[in-house]
Parts: sequence; C-alpha cells; structure tokens
Amino acid sequence: MFKNYIKIAWRNLIKNKAYSIINIGGLALGMAVTLIIGLWMQDELSHNDYFTGKDRIAQVFQSQTFNGETGTGPAIPRPLEKALREGYGDNFKHLIMATWTNDRYLKYKETSISRSGNYMQEAAPELLNLEILKGEKDGLREINSIMLSESTAKTLFGSEEPIGKIVEVNSQYNLMVSAVYKDIPFNNTFNDTEFIIPWEQFLTTNEWARNAEDNWGNNSYQMFVQIADNANMEQVTAKIRDVKKTLNEDSADFNPQLFLFPMKDWHLKSNFENGKQAGGRIKYVWLFGIIGVFILLLACINFMNLSTARSEKRGKEVGIRKSIGSQRGQLIYQFLSESFLVVLFAYLLAIVLVLLSIDGFNDLARKEITFPWSNPAFWVISLLFILITALMAGSYPALYLSSFKPVDVLKGTFKVGKYAGLPRKILVVVQFTVSVAFIIGTVIVMQQINYAKNRPVGYDKQGLIQVPVMSKDFTGKFELMRSEFMGSGAVAQMSTSSAPTTAVWSNYSGYTWEGKPEGFQEDFAWTQVSPEFASSLNLKIMAGRDFSREFASDSNAVLINETAVKYMGLINPVGKYLKDSNEENPSEPLKIIGVVKDMIAQSPYEPVKQAVYAYDKDDSASYYNMRLNPNQSTGENLAVIERVFKEHFPNIPFQYDFVDQEYGKKFAAEERIGTLSGIFTALAILISCLGLFGLTSFVAEQRTKEIGVRKVLGASVFNVWNMLSKDFLKLVIVSCFIAVPIAYFVMNGWLQEYPYRVILKWWIFALAMVGAMLVTVITVSFQAIKAARANPVKSLRTE
Amino acid sequence: MVLQLSNIFKWVQQGGQRVFLLKDINLEVEEGEFISIMGPSGSGKSTLLNVIGMLDTFDEGKYSFLDEPVHELKEKHRSNLYKQYIGFVFQSYHLIDDLTVYENLEMPLLYKKHSRSERKAMVADTLDRFNIVGKKDLFPAQLSGGQQQLVGVARALISKPKLILADEPTGNLNSKQGEEIMELFKQLNEEGVTIVQVTHSEKNAAYGSRIINLLDGRKII
Repeated sequence: MFKNYIKIAWRNLIKNKAYSIINIGGLALGMAVTLIIGLWMQDELSHNDYFTGKDRIAQVFQSQTFNGETGTGPAIPRPLEKALREGYGDNFKHLIMATWTNDRYLKYKETSISRSGNYMQEAAPELLNLEILKGEKDGLREINSIMLSESTAKTLFGSEEPIGKIVEVNSQYNLMVSAVYKDIPFNNTFNDTEFIIPWEQFLTTNEWARNAEDNWGNNSYQMFVQIADNANMEQVTAKIRDVKKTLNEDSADFNPQLFLFPMKDWHLKSNFENGKQAGGRIKYVWLFGIIGVFILLLACINFMNLSTARSEKRGKEVGIRKSIGSQRGQLIYQFLSESFLVVLFAYLLAIVLVLLSIDGFNDLARKEITFPWSNPAFWVISLLFILITALMAGSYPALYLSSFKPVDVLKGTFKVGKYAGLPRKILVVVQFTVSVAFIIGTVIVMQQINYAKNRPVGYDKQGLIQVPVMSKDFTGKFELMRSEFMGSGAVAQMSTSSAPTTAVWSNYSGYTWEGKPEGFQEDFAWTQVSPEFASSLNLKIMAGRDFSREFASDSNAVLINETAVKYMGLINPVGKYLKDSNEENPSEPLKIIGVVKDMIAQSPYEPVKQAVYAYDKDDSASYYNMRLNPNQSTGENLAVIERVFKEHFPNIPFQYDFVDQEYGKKFAAEERIGTLSGIFTALAILISCLGLFGLTSFVAEQRTKEIGVRKVLGASVFNVWNMLSKDFLKLVIVSCFIAVPIAYFVMNGWLQEYPYRVILKWWIFALAMVGAMLVTVITVSFQAIKAARANPVKSLRTE
Repeated sequence: MVLQLSNIFKWVQQGGQRVFLLKDINLEVEEGEFISIMGPSGSGKSTLLNVIGMLDTFDEGKYSFLDEPVHELKEKHRSNLYKQYIGFVFQSYHLIDDLTVYENLEMPLLYKKHSRSERKAMVADTLDRFNIVGKKDLFPAQLSGGQQQLVGVARALISKPKLILADEPTGNLNSKQGEEIMELFKQLNEEGVTIVQVTHSEKNAAYGSRIINLLDGRKII
C-alpha cells in the first residue's frame, strides 16, 4: 500500500517538474535556514557546556549605586576573598581569585609569542575541570610555574617536551611549565585562557595588588566559585549579599550588593539593569528562532497552496480511489505520505545547502559550528523535524483533497467552489505579511547601524594606530621611543594613554570641586595620557589650552570633556581644581587647564560619559597612539615603524591596531544581526515569490479558456496581464497593512535599547510596501504575460 | 436478492423549491440479472446508479443491499460493503494516469488487505483473462479507448464483485469497440455476475435482461 502511494507520488513529482522544483526547492531553502538557525541556537544554548560543573559554578558580582544609578559588574575587592573563606567557606567547594584575561609575551629560546591568559588560584584546574594532557593537575601550586594550553605549548615548543621547560613571561620573570591542558573549546567562556599563572606570582610582581589586601575600595579582581554540593545559588547569595557593606563602612554609601552570577547565565543573560538581571543575548536566540519558524512556515505555505491549486487534477484520482473502496483516512494517509516524501527530498537537499553554506555562515556569525554527523540526537531531531514539517505542509492539502465527493469529481464537471480559493488567499497574505515585516525590520536595523556609524566620534580615527605597551620592557622608554618614531618620518605625532582610545578602563571617584552639590556621588571615566594626547588624536580643545611641556606644573593638570563640564555644573571650568576628598592624606589637587570635545570611547549608541584626561606622571602607559605621516602610504609607514620597534624590542612581537577598525568593532554585533536578517529577508522573499510564481502559473492555466475568450473578444495583452496581476497585488497590499503596524511595534521596541537611535520615518514603511508590490508584479508578470500572449485559437481548440 | 430500493426520493433545493432528481423509485435486483437503465439526458439515470453504488446519498426511502439497511449504515461500513461487492465501470474509464495497467488493476486489491502474492496471482489471472498481458506495463495514455475501457472492466471485476455498475461504458468508444465491451458484459453475466448499466443506446440495452426507463427522476414502465 505504502509502496503504491510512494510510486504515485514519485511519478507525480517526475511529471510536474516545475511544480516539484518549486516545492522541493522552496521547502529545502526553508528547511536549510531553519536547520542553520537551529544549529546556531543549539550552539548558543550549549555555551559553557564544556564545564561539567556548569550548574554549580558562578562568578561573584557586585552592584553599587552612584547618584541613584546602580551599576553591576564582576570587579570585586581583594579583602572579600578572606571574608568569604573565613566566614562562609563551607558554602563553597572551590573559590578562586583571578585577574582579568590579558595578553602576555611568552618566550622560549628564539620563539616569542603573544597569548592571552590569566593569573588564578590553585583550585582553578579543578573548578574548570581542565583536561590535563601532560604534567600535574595541581600545576599552580608552585609560585614559579605556568600551565599552558595544548596549542600554546605546541607553538612554543614544537615537538619538544614542554614539562619542566622555562618560559620567560613579558621579559619580566621565568616560569617553569608544570602542566599542559587541552584547549578549552571555542564555545566556552575561558576559551581565551591560553595559559594560567599562579595568583601568588601576580601578587609578588604587582606591588599595588599585593598591598591591596585590606583595600575594600579597589575593585580590580575577579572571583569564581563552585558552590558546595549541598548548597544552592540563591541561598549562598542571600548569605553573602551584604558582606562588603558590613565589613567596610565606607562603602555603605554606595550600597554594595554581592551575588553569585551562575555560569549558565554568563553568555545569554548577562545584562543588568539597576542591579537586576535583565536578559541579554537570549533575546536574539529567541528572535532568530522565531525567524526560523516563520521561514519554514513560508515554505510550508507554498506546499499547501500549490497542492490545493492542483486539486482539480488530483480530484479525479481521489474520486476513483473512493469509488474503488478507499476510505477518507486512507486518502489522508496517502497524501501525507506524499508530503513526507517531498519533505524528505527537501531535507536531503537542505543538508547539502547547509553543508555548502556553513562556512560562510560561521564567518558571518563568528561561530565554529560543525555539522553534527555523529550525534544521534541530531538525527532523531531531524526525523521529528521532517515529520513535523510534513504534517505542517501536508495536513491541510490532505484534508482538503480527501474531502472531495466521488460523484462530483467523476462527473467531469468538477470545479473548485467559489470559496475554495479563500484559504489560499489567506496563506498568501500570511506569507507576504511576514516578508514585508522582515523587509521593514532589516531596513531599520541597517539604518540604525548607519546612523550610529555616521555619528561624529570627536577625533580623527583615520590614519591612527595604537600599539599595546603593557610590558615592563616599555617602562621609562616613552620619550626615547617618541623621538625615534617621530624622527623616522613615519609618525607625525605620538602620545600614550592608560587605556585604548576606543575604551574606558578606569572609573574614578573621590574628588570634590568648587560648587559640588552636597552628597553628589561623582564617577568619572579616567585616562592618564601624555601631553600630546589631544594633538595626536586631533581632539579639539574647546576652551582653555592643551597640556604643554613648557609648564612643569602641568604634571598636576587635567583636561576634561564637555560632558564633564555639564556634569560638574561648572560655568568657567578652566582654572578650577579637582581636589582629593580624602582629608587625612590628600593627593595634590588637579588643575583643569582645558576642555576637550566629547569623544566616543564606549558605546556609539550611548551618550558620551564625563571624562577626565590626567597628565600621566607615573608612566602608566598601556598604548602608544601614533598619528601616521599622511604624506606617505600606510604600508611604508608601518614598515618603518616595525623596523624601529624591532631595533629597540627585538624580543617582542610587533602588534598594532588601526583605531578606525577597533572603533568599527563596536558595530560588529549589530552588523551581524543586520547582515543575517538581510539574508533571511532575501530568502523569505525568494520563497514567497517562488510560491507566487507557481500559483500564478496554475491560475493562468485554469483560466486559459477565459483568457482565450477574452482575447477573441478584443482584450489586449495588457488587459489580460492586468486581470491576472490585480488579484495578487490586492493580497500583497492587504499584507502590507497588516505588516506595517506589527513591524513598527517590534522595531520601535528594539530601538528603545539604544539611547542614540534613528527616528523611524514613514518612508521606510512606504519603501518596503512599494518593494513588495514591485516584486509581486514582476513575479506574476512572468506567467501573466506568457498566458496573455498565447494564441487564443489554440487554447480554445483544446477545450 | 442483491438489492432493494423502496420509495427512494432525492432532491436539491433550488431557489427555495425542491427539484426532484429521483422520485419514488422502487427497484429490486435479483442475482444474475442484467439490467439496463435508459432515459433522456437529465432523467436521473446516473444519479440512480450512484445511489445504488452508494457513492451518492438520497433523502428519503429505504435501501437494502444484501439485506443490510444501507440508509442506516455509517460511512465506513458502507464503503466496506461496496468495496467488497460492487465494481464500477465509468464512461470515461477513470484509470489513474500515473499508474500502469498492472498497478491500476492491483489498486482495488490494496484496499482489501490481500497479501502480496495473492495480489500478484489475481492480477496475473485477470491480465490473462482479458488478454492484456502484453499491455501490463503501459500507462493509460498509451492505450486506445477500447483498451482503456477493457482495463476499466477488468479493474471492476478483479475483486470478484457480486454487482457491476456501468455508467455508459461504451459512451466514449466507437461502435466496434463498444460491441466488444458489450459482448464481454454479456459473457460475464452468463458467468453469474449481476450487472446494472446506464445507456442511451437501444442496441446496448438489448444485451440486458430487463430495461428500466426513467423520465424526470420517475420510473416509467
């Protein structure tokens, strides 16, 4: 029986090639998109699955409130470690202090490489459940040891045995390799931890950290914990919430709240608003999930429409089968097995499409998704996916076709009733509603990106490079290097800063000034810079003057930005002082000598933060900012700079970033969404048009006789084209009016996240509508014109 | 007795009025009969045949088939009944275009839970009997009208029904092909199959043992 069904279905597919291609091709496209989105979602949701303790690992986070605004972050003070260990130790299985992940130079013999890694306490390999390939799991016990990831060890030592070898770190100290662990896979938080050095080593080599044992005000470290087997996150959080507030009275003003941020939320739910967890990436996971379902729905609608449109042809078979004794259930079963066959073919094709496009998709989405051939769960889900799609696409046609009465169909006078086309029309409206909404959404995302991109950054980011100098090798060498680089002719101006131009690394409070309101809790973005910072960036001085090497007193001078002037409520800022609010042992007051234009260092979607640029008197440079000589090509400049760099630092790899590219990375997330939604929209439209194309050809075929009669009676090609196109155009117009409010509502919600956002204009919606109509007319016209040009004598004779 | 119709009425509503398609039809068909239903276009011949074949319903009256009250049966039961005992032959053959002769013949058996080997044997027998073994792999479109109808009759007979219902079986055939089909019916009837046919042609009607004349849905003697 089943074989008979499949045979009929197969022959039908072969006989109606155009129909089959549209059906299978459309479904395959839809399924491929859904499949890719599914793989992507799975990848997102399985983030950090590498860590077996995922459900019991957490990072200690802290919320503090300044002027009524609560900020939440991972930075915690050092004394917290002792407080938690001593007072709450039995709640934790492991507790480790860690630094921020940073680049370090690792050198062995002639090989010098830059790798990112961390300083962590002894229990780290246990907590992260690292897979030790060589050496000992307690490889952090000795202060002078280092654990390397497999790939780092391989690059550094090649085929040599790494254990016991001495690695020089940042030209500062020598460590012995104690263990090699398997690389943490891409889709996990500590993926960029390519080496681990004992925390004690960090304390020994950084005086400021060593001395911060009792400093509750210095929030500069991270703490990871694995809770005890009998503990639960909420309870532990409740216990430790007020630890800092209780032990350190000074901090009570800012109401520090400690809590455990569970590992399972790190990736997808990492946004905080006013101290409360407020979603995050998970939103996009659902958004793309919905897009995937919609695109599959579009493809299924094609199948439904084309199947029912062909009902007059299949009707006869239904009649015969019923008169021979088939029951309705058997016919439903038959049609469902047919759709199953089609979906199965479509799925195979979809797999091919996925395999062809997965690399491109990985590039776009910054993923390392591989096709899960060997995962049995994948194949079970695939089977379910095929079945569900077959049911989704096939159940309506099956119910519809199997409902025909044999008497009606077999008389030969069977015509589909007046309202039989209505469900089909509704389905077309659904398709185009989705497509138009996608178009509008994509245009708005692109607009928002462009809007933010075109926002003036406040300085000249073209022709500007930054070179990281966070190693002791560079200490005290700035003046020398500045004269060397500028003397080489490749650098027009050069400065240092304690943070990259495109980020804020430090935020300071604890200052007073003339007219500061009582109880005002200040918070400044704080960067230490060398005197030529503004001139190397082409950052405009709006009032007062720039730093000058002429005035020795400038070592206690600062520049502030325009926002800071407003923030502090100063009318004539130049000449005013920022004074240390610590009355016992105050540091020197800082004189405001000038006001610089606001420059965007953080999010281009948000207002610029109040910033202080302080004269760097402790040589705390993290970056060299170099303005390249505009009269030479960038290539020439870079070659010269590298040569000079190598002369002075032969052991350090020359690294640099173009500031405009670094700035461009701020748009990466939004651009990815924009590109992906653009692609999905194009596919949605393609699938919808494929269906429309098929539908028109059936309508044209159905109305062949009518068209013939009309032509004989004098209708022109245009008349006929108009007649055929009008019906579809009406449906698309209806779709537009449904799609516009929905798209407006959703996109307006999306834009609310961005303080600096584009204003929605009516023409975006008009454009999407006109676009959809244009696409419809073009698609329909292929068939309409063909039908209209056919010789009426021929079509009438065959009737 | 194969079937009995008593006081069958069938009507449709048209503009608030009842238009009768069948009016007070009484009919008994005995085993082994060969009945021809005649009458002008629109007199209700085909409707009557469809009612007998249980493809169509009626609005009033009683119908018993092999002593089962058809008007009281559920759809599923009814279809079980007719698929077991009734074979249809249509004017325009109604073979499934996408299936070969062999597969068309096999189809009724698929709905009746015959085993594979049984089906094979039955189809082979039938092909043999109707002398169409050489055509078994052809599709309907590759056959002449007469040959298609031959397959149509063979398909109706394959599951050994008690009753053959034929709606103008020769209507689309030329006279020679028509004659061959009628001869076939005659022969089948002699072998014991009960036949009810609808026809326009006096000549074809003459093959039968009894003629029923219809006019405006009413039986006239």
